[in-house]
Amino acid sequence: MRLKIWRSEKDGKNGRYDVFEISPKPGMTVLEALFEIQDAEDDSLGFRFACRGAICGSCAMMINREMRLACRTQVAGLDESKSLGLKMFPALQRPPSLAPTGEILVEPLPNLPILKDLIVDMTRFYETYRRIRPWIEPEASRSEFSKMSQEDCAKVEKYGNCILCAACFGSCPVCERDLQYVGPHALAWAYRFIEDPRVGDEDTRMEIVSEDNGAPACDFVYNCVKVCPKDVSPAGAIRRLRDMIEKTKGHAGRPRSQ
Amino acid sequence: MALLSKVHPIRSHSGAAQGGINAALGKNDSWEAHAFDTVKGSDYLADQDSVDILCKEAPGRIADLDRFGTLFSRTPEGDIAQRPFGGAGFPRTCYAADRTGHHLLHTMYQQCLRNGLRVLEEWFVLKLVVSEKAMLGLVAYHIPTGEVVPFKSRVVILATGGYGRIYSKSTNAIINTGDGAALAVDAGAQLMDMEFVQFHPTTLRGTNILISEAARGEGGYLKNKHGERFMSRYAKDAMELAPRDIVARSIQTEIDQGRGFDNDYIQLDLTHLGRDRIKSRLPGIRQISMDFAGVDPIAEPIPIQPGQHYSMGGIEVDNQCKAAVDGLLSAGESACVSVHGANRLGGNSLLETLVFGKVAGETARAHPHTGIHDEKRLETTAKIESERIEDIKGGSKQEPMAALRTEMKDTMTACFGVFRQGDRMAAGLTTIRDIRKRYMHSRVGDHGKEFNQAIVNHKELGNMLTAAEAVAMEALAREESRGSHSRMDFPNRDDSKFLRHSIVSMFGDTLRLSYKPVRLGRYPVKERVY
Repeated sequence: MRLKIWRSEKDGKNGRYDVFEISPKPGMTVLEALFEIQDAEDDSLGFRFACRGAICGSCAMMINREMRLACRTQVAGLDESKSLGLKMFPALQRPPSLAPTGEILVEPLPNLPILKDLIVDMTRFYETYRRIRPWIEPEASRSEFSKMSQEDCAKVEKYGNCILCAACFGSCPVCERDLQYVGPHALAWAYRFIEDPRVGDEDTRMEIVSEDNGAPACDFVYNCVKVCPKDVSPAGAIRRLRDMIEKTKGHAGRPRSQ
Repeated sequence: MALLSKVHPIRSHSGAAQGGINAALGKNDSWEAHAFDTVKGSDYLADQDSVDILCKEAPGRIADLDRFGTLFSRTPEGDIAQRPFGGAGFPRTCYAADRTGHHLLHTMYQQCLRNGLRVLEEWFVLKLVVSEKAMLGLVAYHIPTGEVVPFKSRVVILATGGYGRIYSKSTNAIINTGDGAALAVDAGAQLMDMEFVQFHPTTLRGTNILISEAARGEGGYLKNKHGERFMSRYAKDAMELAPRDIVARSIQTEIDQGRGFDNDYIQLDLTHLGRDRIKSRLPGIRQISMDFAGVDPIAEPIPIQPGQHYSMGGIEVDNQCKAAVDGLLSAGESACVSVHGANRLGGNSLLETLVFGKVAGETARAHPHTGIHDEKRLETTAKIESERIEDIKGGSKQEPMAALRTEMKDTMTACFGVFRQGDRMAAGLTTIRDIRKRYMHSRVGDHGKEFNQAIVNHKELGNMLTAAEAVAMEALAREESRGSHSRMDFPNRDDSKFLRHSIVSMFGDTLRLSYKPVRLGRYPVKERVY
């Protein structure tokens, strides 16, 4: 089996594809294959990693033109595995075309500047996350423990499971064409806070997500839902945010009748 | 003030904690009961005044998390839910499904953002710079650019996690390389109880990814190849919920005596819990089992084996988190207060990070301005470290760095695993020292500046070898069995000789061993039965 891996310096300078032969063992993941290459063939191969157990979110990359965590993607059967059916956008249609059988194409996440090989600059991703104010203002005076129903917890828990891996960000056509868009990850987190009955400042956050580069910018192509390794479903959160925005607008725009 | 980290903070290994965090919140529970369980679980090696702090402060830290918005799982009445955990006399483990660490880590990071904390990502610390009187600062390597930069600081808190990756079979993230322990001992601090390494009973066969104790807390069974719930032989009352050291040894014994599957693993059976309970309480475990073993626990048992999980030992600190070097503090898994002694209870590690993380912050704030600066010394150290890095780049691509790393991990697993024996450990220690000698001559092939992972790997291997040697020295010298340290040649606990902490310090470039008394308290030292 071969791995065809994107190699370059900053901003894709001197870009090329290197092909490495690997001998797949049962259960071997793409991340393990990258380690094998780094250890045995080329220790200058650059990629991020930490937990190797699909929880830290470091190793999202583009594998056979789909955004996946390298640690969770097995090399065996990858070329026969069911395609995620992503909506196409220019970053996915660049040459080379998909690799032949027995070869896995490994590239950095699109929509973020390349720093080296498979490592991208996540600044824009983290900044957009910060923009939605992803925190709760603790009420310093409260001494009692909060009450929260199991139903309320279940409503937001799914979105709180986001590991900020940026797979959704890399899969999103809007993120590619609109550099101001806050992105699926930030909107999922915004929804997690807005729907939490313990949060007191949802108005501020609603204002942020209602702006043109917030929830209204989403195309609903659902790539984010398809690639999310944690089943967070950002587009689901965006749909709900859009409903909330419509509702508020409806109230504001409707003339008061006595 | 700044947070400096070799990875982005949310990539930290705390996020992988699954089962929960302990606090005596229940009406019939008490912090004293929590403290007793912790001390007994530690095989009486924990310092009892430190354990008191841990358990007394626990409810307050849970209240903090609650205020910060952590999505704890709830009872039908809307209170924070608690589940039973190993070695605990009361269901006192608060949880967020089986992703507790993820939710806690993100909560704390979000509060850092709220407070505008300056975060320096992808900086690898090369050296702490101390004078005889004070902490001067540190020198760090900027991974994205390859720059070596001195940082002036009168206080440094090391919260660098454990040294689990010195073993080949480990639940730990690949980044858990004992960096803090190596930096601290090099700066003149002491390492304590390094031989106490927790082997988690249930790690996924092959990848050794953690399968939470919560799986047993929720009612899962351990079964050998004859379908027996074999824990009845080893802990007839506590069964699957005996403390981790006991369950890990029981599993290893079943495997060693031929009652495992393929002489390699046993089964964790959750099938009787039913689809709904598994999906609501253990969704992460289910996902991991499906992703990494191709097994859906709703339908089939999970193949599991013991694997290295937690470093009880670490940088010796007092109850204010102060190490033996002025201005150097440590908290969390990198530190050894000691609240875990010879064996940590599940649910106490996340708790330690929060309780002693806060203590460390307060100690740092109260640390006096010494007025001692030495920019020149910082600059000189940075220059030396920078030259060392250039020197490491002197090799070809065929240098055997990865082979040295593999040899170290295999040696530690073979000689310092669940069961230990004097002659094997002596041979293991010799091997580790030999690897270190060869390591000194190893070089990397990557000569680049930006994101030179080979340099980081090289530095991490050096740190791991320091931790490994300390583990080996202390384990060999402790001629008894206590908690996680289980010797075939000394099967009993020996309080007359070894009810004391092992200490390793650096003299010149050699590690030396000494001992320190345990601070006992209200719980008398007894035989440990479950």
